[in-house]
Amino acid sequence: MSYEDEILMAYVDGELDAKLRAEISAALEKDPALARRVEQQRVIRARVVGAFDKVLNQPVPESLLRAARGPAAPEPSASRGNVLQFPVRPARAPAAPWRAREWVAMAASLMLGALISWQLLWPGVGAPIVAGRDALVAHGELARALDHQLASEQRGEEPVLIGLTFKAHDGNYCRSFEMRATRTAGIACRAGSDWQVTATDASALPQGQLQQASSALSPAILRAIEARADGAALDAEAERNAQLAGWKAP
Amino acid sequence: MTHTPEEIGQSIALLLPRLRRFARSLSRNLHDADDLVQSGVERAWRHMDQFKPGANLASWMFGIMRNAWLDNLRARRRRREVALPDDSGEHPAVSPVDTHTELWSVSEAMSKLPEEQRLAVALVLVEGLSYKEAAEVLEIPMGTLTSRLARGRTALAAALADNGSAP
Repeated sequence: MSYEDEILMAYVDGELDAKLRAEISAALEKDPALARRVEQQRVIRARVVGAFDKVLNQPVPESLLRAARGPAAPEPSASRGNVLQFPVRPARAPAAPWRAREWVAMAASLMLGALISWQLLWPGVGAPIVAGRDALVAHGELARALDHQLASEQRGEEPVLIGLTFKAHDGNYCRSFEMRATRTAGIACRAGSDWQVTATDASALPQGQLQQASSALSPAILRAIEARADGAALDAEAERNAQLAGWKAP
Repeated sequence: MTHTPEEIGQSIALLLPRLRRFARSLSRNLHDADDLVQSGVERAWRHMDQFKPGANLASWMFGIMRNAWLDNLRARRRRREVALPDDSGEHPAVSPVDTHTELWSVSEAMSKLPEEQRLAVALVLVEGLSYKEAAEVLEIPMGTLTSRLARGRTALAAALADNGSAP
């Protein structure tokens, strides 16, 4: 039985129905010439796929980001500088009292010219973000929302709203969130069993736009996501599967 | 379900890395590729009323970029016929750092394909669309898509055979 190139190409592309696919798989075992032709199809596919994939990791020009947000979007300069990229301190930083560590994080945020609301770092059981060993980690209701809440099932009334879930370049899951009470948006990334808060934008949810803001991301947060995301955001099903897997890096 | 302009803007922004990859596979010049993304995105916003809620935004954007790209090529050809009848080089300005890389070799081979084959290869191999999705974006029957894809791949294999194999 001989096969046309088009069939072998569809075989390599995963486009054949199960029956024909099995037939070709079986034929490959016995026919070295056929196996070579399939291999050639695989090689050309891999070369084309591989060559352009690196474009995904190149930084996206600002002009394109502006165009993407559409003609009605506000100038990005309005919120530029409000994203706080928390520096990750060395793992063996001396253990400081909680309050001092929080103060360090706060001071760092001020030095960077970022706005992080003091309420986020208040000491006590209810705080949504606390100073962990080497980074700020989500706590309390923020941590619970990051652990359990699915964007596809939100009613919009939850105290914390989950935005996009995506995979970071290091393979860990990250989720964007918005805390309605403090009108603060941010990004948290999985680190072990914690969610490290890697960016916040305190100007993300202007007063009076709370309803719309439940799903809209500020340009600043969007930029932070784009800097981290490896591929597109998860859809509802992938988000659920990731949650079921305990947010372990796939 | 309808989307707010903010949500659509967000979704388009998240697609930008893919749109740039798609454009880069159509045009080997990086600046031309980003210009194509820019005009595709601007066109998308101008025709946002034509986007059907629930449709696949990525596919819709690819379709718009394909039209923008074909329009650019036509305009460029017209200019060339008027001003530079002897200029046969499509766009020689390739960044020097790009040369000798796999991306450059494959781009070079892609740029020699007829437009219709290049589009089929870009959508299916580079962007990973299914045959059905790619046929829909290009508004052609499946059989036409698979034959363009097969011819494009054969030509690429021949062009790349002289270039050594991937690292």
